[in-house]
Amino acid sequence: MCNDLLVNIFEDGLFAAIAAIGFSSISNTPRRAYLTCALIAAAGHSIRYVISLPDFGGMNIIISSTLAAFAIGILAVLFASRIKCPAEVCFFPALLPMIPGMYAYRTVEALISCLCNTQEETFRHYFYLLAYNGLTCTFIVLGMVVGATIPVFMFKKLSFTATR
Amino acid sequence: MTNNTDIHEVASFLADYASHLLGCGATCIRIEKNTHRMAEAFGVESDISIMPTHIYVTACGKDASHNGVAIRKTASCGINFNLNARLSRLSWEVADNRLDFATAVKRFNKILETKPTGKWEVLFLTSFANAAFCRLFGGDPSAMLIVFISTLAGYRLKQIMLSDRRDVRLVFLCASFFSAALSAGGQLFGIGSTPEIALGTSVLYLIPGVPYINAVSDIIYKHYLCAFSRFADAAVLTACLTVGLCTGMLILGLKWF
Repeated sequence: MCNDLLVNIFEDGLFAAIAAIGFSSISNTPRRAYLTCALIAAAGHSIRYVISLPDFGGMNIIISSTLAAFAIGILAVLFASRIKCPAEVCFFPALLPMIPGMYAYRTVEALISCLCNTQEETFRHYFYLLAYNGLTCTFIVLGMVVGATIPVFMFKKLSFTATR
Repeated sequence: MTNNTDIHEVASFLADYASHLLGCGATCIRIEKNTHRMAEAFGVESDISIMPTHIYVTACGKDASHNGVAIRKTASCGINFNLNARLSRLSWEVADNRLDFATAVKRFNKILETKPTGKWEVLFLTSFANAAFCRLFGGDPSAMLIVFISTLAGYRLKQIMLSDRRDVRLVFLCASFFSAALSAGGQLFGIGSTPEIALGTSVLYLIPGVPYINAVSDIIYKHYLCAFSRFADAAVLTACLTVGLCTGMLILGLKWF
């Protein structure tokens, strides 16, 4: 079981790292930052994976995303000066793999289903799905962004001297 | 800075610098700090006002009658973290190494010539990234392959349309339509066990994450106007990609979810 867990954590981190490198390239991130972004993304995503497991507290996805983003923010501030890049260059690609894409997709799905079903019972069901997925998605994104930005705010001096 | 010409040149340079930082996706606090750092090194007092589409810079020498104002439209250089990092480094070089004004301008112009990441490199890395994204959302290998192909095609379309200088909203709509239409094949032909994850993930490479994140940072530092502007821009693009996704599903006759 322990081996399975480690494999899952490794797999989660690996795919998060691949996603981070790809999304770094879209924003024209310097090549020297790719590895750092990948490692930070892998660490962040693995942290969220572990703390949301039922055996490890089974934390709610919004809180676990916020905590993982906070860890990403701290790591980004610490590593930014090593690669001479602003902290946001490191944490943005690392945050992207945590974007709740499926919640966003299900929100659109529920919205369209709401519009297509006028019967009260069915409409109410889809409206519930719309509110549930929409709110979860919004608060995950908000938690992630605030969580990652707080370390930049806390360690202002370190954050803004990274390119020195 | 001793005369009016100099002070105007400094104000113009600072406004150009700030407009490029804003254009490449730097947060307002970074723009303010970098610009003030350089102004201080040049021996002038400066003030900067960051509006959603324009930058206003005033520079004032020791003699209050010597002052200059410059207004610049936000540079349309697209999100570019490499440019952001190099411009930020320039501000430290000016402050720490006491670069003179002419050298700073020369270095600034050289930085603007920086070439963006190669288009093929970005195309393939993004496609692999979106396929990895699909796996993180629970997609099977077939779904990952579908997402890879649809991202490759959609992102290439985005590159072509952007190089033809098409409106960015139209670009997002067309690219998401194209990607969604291709990935809908998984559902139409029953490929793999998670075709709906492939369809949902295929357009996620278009999510404008940087403006969303920058908007929150701007709110923290009380730049509410810029924050709202960045958020509205990102929301419009997200709406465009949603319309593209839905149109793709409608035209292909997919059951609405």
